[in-house]
Amino acid sequence: MGRIVGIDLGTTNSLVAYVDAATGRPRCIPGPYGSALCPSVVSLDADGSVIVGEPARRRLLTQPERTIYSVKRLMGRGPADVRDELKLFPFRIDAASQSVIRVRLGDKLFSPPEISAFILRELRNWAEAHFGETVDRAVITVPAYFNDAQRQATKDAGRIAGLEVLRLVNEPTAAALAYGLHQQQRGKVAVYDLGGGTFDISVLKLISTTEGDIYQVLATNGDTHLGGDDIDNELIAREWTKRGRAAIAGVLGDAERSQAVRAAVIQAKHALSVAQDAMIQVAGMGAESSVRITRAELEEVARPVVERTMKPVRQALADAQLKPEEIEEVVLVGGTTRTPLVRETVEKYFGRKPHIELNPDEVVALGAALQADILSNGTQNMLLLDVAPLSLGIETYGGAVAKIIPRNSTIPASAQELYTTGVDNQTGIEIHVVQGERELARDCRSLARFTLGVPPAPAGLPRIEVKFLIDANGILQVAAKDVRTGEERSIEVQPSYGLDDAEVERMLEESIEYAEQDFAERQLVEARTEAESILVATAKALATEAAARISGEERAAIDASVAALKESAAGTDYKLVRVRIDVLNQATTHLAEVMMNSAISTALEGRNLAEV
Amino acid sequence: MAEPHILNNPPLVCWSCHERSLGTHFCSSCGKLVQLAPHIDYFAMFEMPRKLWVETDALERKFLQLSWKLHPDKYASATEQERELSLRHSSELNDAYRTLRDPVARVEYLLSLEGMRKEGETKQQAPAELLEEVFELNESLDELREAREAAGDLAGLKARLAAAEENFQGKLGAVDAALQSGAREWDAALDEPGGAPDARKKLLERMNELLNRRAYLRNLVLNVAKELAA
Repeated sequence: MGRIVGIDLGTTNSLVAYVDAATGRPRCIPGPYGSALCPSVVSLDADGSVIVGEPARRRLLTQPERTIYSVKRLMGRGPADVRDELKLFPFRIDAASQSVIRVRLGDKLFSPPEISAFILRELRNWAEAHFGETVDRAVITVPAYFNDAQRQATKDAGRIAGLEVLRLVNEPTAAALAYGLHQQQRGKVAVYDLGGGTFDISVLKLISTTEGDIYQVLATNGDTHLGGDDIDNELIAREWTKRGRAAIAGVLGDAERSQAVRAAVIQAKHALSVAQDAMIQVAGMGAESSVRITRAELEEVARPVVERTMKPVRQALADAQLKPEEIEEVVLVGGTTRTPLVRETVEKYFGRKPHIELNPDEVVALGAALQADILSNGTQNMLLLDVAPLSLGIETYGGAVAKIIPRNSTIPASAQELYTTGVDNQTGIEIHVVQGERELARDCRSLARFTLGVPPAPAGLPRIEVKFLIDANGILQVAAKDVRTGEERSIEVQPSYGLDDAEVERMLEESIEYAEQDFAERQLVEARTEAESILVATAKALATEAAARISGEERAAIDASVAALKESAAGTDYKLVRVRIDVLNQATTHLAEVMMNSAISTALEGRNLAEV
Repeated sequence: MAEPHILNNPPLVCWSCHERSLGTHFCSSCGKLVQLAPHIDYFAMFEMPRKLWVETDALERKFLQLSWKLHPDKYASATEQERELSLRHSSELNDAYRTLRDPVARVEYLLSLEGMRKEGETKQQAPAELLEEVFELNESLDELREAREAAGDLAGLKARLAAAEENFQGKLGAVDAALQSGAREWDAALDEPGGAPDARKKLLERMNELLNRRAYLRNLVLNVAKELAA
């Protein structure tokens, strides 16, 4: 069994973290660019290789039709759900998509879980490089307000990436875990999590018992469609209006132009977190076209978004039966909470300064790592008691909903319903499960439909007990039992917006192919980089006076090795490159010694031993 | 609704050590999680008598203690069988806690345990003595809806409805008080064994009626509140 990590699969950025066994503290693992943040951007190269993260983010400007960002907005949703998104996001959704969306990258189609799986694989690679060991298990975080389909899609993504997903943890709860450990705080805590695309508010009680610390969620609420992206889109729309389409069109191509404006707007937005004004400079348009934006203007744009977050906040407090002043600590999570307006609004509502000590970008991943540690060791004396964010209901006659598990029920949670037939010799009972708070099934989120098989019998005679269970991941499990015979029967549940097992298996196989490609790509890049540096060093060495002191044969051997290495570096066989690096190293060993001795004697010249 | 319960959970044969086990959650011989008994008694799960007054702090403490022992997170590296069992036990625990923590749900649960929970006549229809008031209320609601559509003067109508809401809210309060006194009576009877079983049955029937009336009134008040807020 390999190592286990915690992963924050975010709308804008993703991170991977683990608990340092020596200190018991969680740490984020940095990627090849030194940052712990992996932009949640995926690009498909023309030659079929997949690029993830910072390099992919740059491709948004140069190859937008092969690149996708904010794919989290598409997870667990059907084509009809995202129609509105398309007006604001350049998702190229395949018209033939049925219950699962397929997006186009270049000339290939992918489902959202597959794209998320590329990001997960990238993070897995970072972790494996860091540990020097296989990483095959993870705890992955999800917005607390994610419904069943969105959670299942996240689990599928983990599977496709070759990770066993030990648990899905709600993002605010993970943040509370990280803060709880960090601050050793107890009492009633509110976590306000505003990210790129989702908003969550969770109210928790932190209790110390003799066994350890309990993080008990009292209530959670949110909006899976609200975040920094919405502020960006509003700013982008204003830019278009201000500058005029014609001005931008003349300089850049269509898709590129959109991305260039977006990148400029985001940069300005970030700057306004600390400055009172900033310049929006669109790449490729020249400095004279820069436009100034003030913090006040940003706040005007951000205000409606922040206002929208307050409704779930009020509802969560009401459900927890608490008043704002009864909350003892407030925690801010998510990049968008860096916006001064957000901080001010939250402070005003709760009447206290929110905690920002932990990096709002990292805190969720740190919490996930802690939960991963709890699950793998069982030694951490912490326990998370989370809740189901949405009520679970069954559609009844007339399209109404009978709620069987109320929202904010501690999970795992279950409910039983007894079913019988209405007609003689009826062989199936249709059941439609929904999630949501509305009275009518059609206004709620369809979770799944299934048919209970029943042996033919007079109407009203069969008695089938169906048990609905929401597990610790917040995902529904269903089991049925024939009460009269005691026989347990399995149920084939058709998720309304998900992939079936066969599809996930197929995607897993395909992703393994991509992964192997990735690995070879990376090895080649690294080998070439190393070859580059040794070739430069060798060239420098050959230009020194020490080079004059080696034999003609040795010089010839070095030259031959240099030529051979250059040839292999231009090719694609990374193993050959490494072999030839070794050969060149050996060929230059003596030269290195000569240089070293020469350097020492130069250093020693004119000095006595005491000074050396 | 589940079948009425048997008072004690019968002892089971432990799946792990094959001894007879008497524990609700854990085998008294080997300590492993046992299969759940088919009908769980929530009171027994918390080791409490079937009384309607519950000390909420003690209930919470017990809940947290049991959570430490039963939660799936504690069985992440255990066998599949144990993981499955922990899932079932902890979901039952959470359901039990949710039920026993809410005073009204607690009464409902007790009634169903005793086989005395019957929804029905007065849940959907107005209790006889309220008929006239409910009729008036429905008329006011209709008038408000019509006036709204005709963009007429709503203030007077709203004031009347608010008064009606308050009236029914008061009746709801009275029902809650009656339930509380019934609960005290029940608990007192438990402390004095040898009371007439007939009296207990009549008390339960009375509380059943109160629950139905409560459900009806609550519905009414919610509807009015919704209409006023619209």
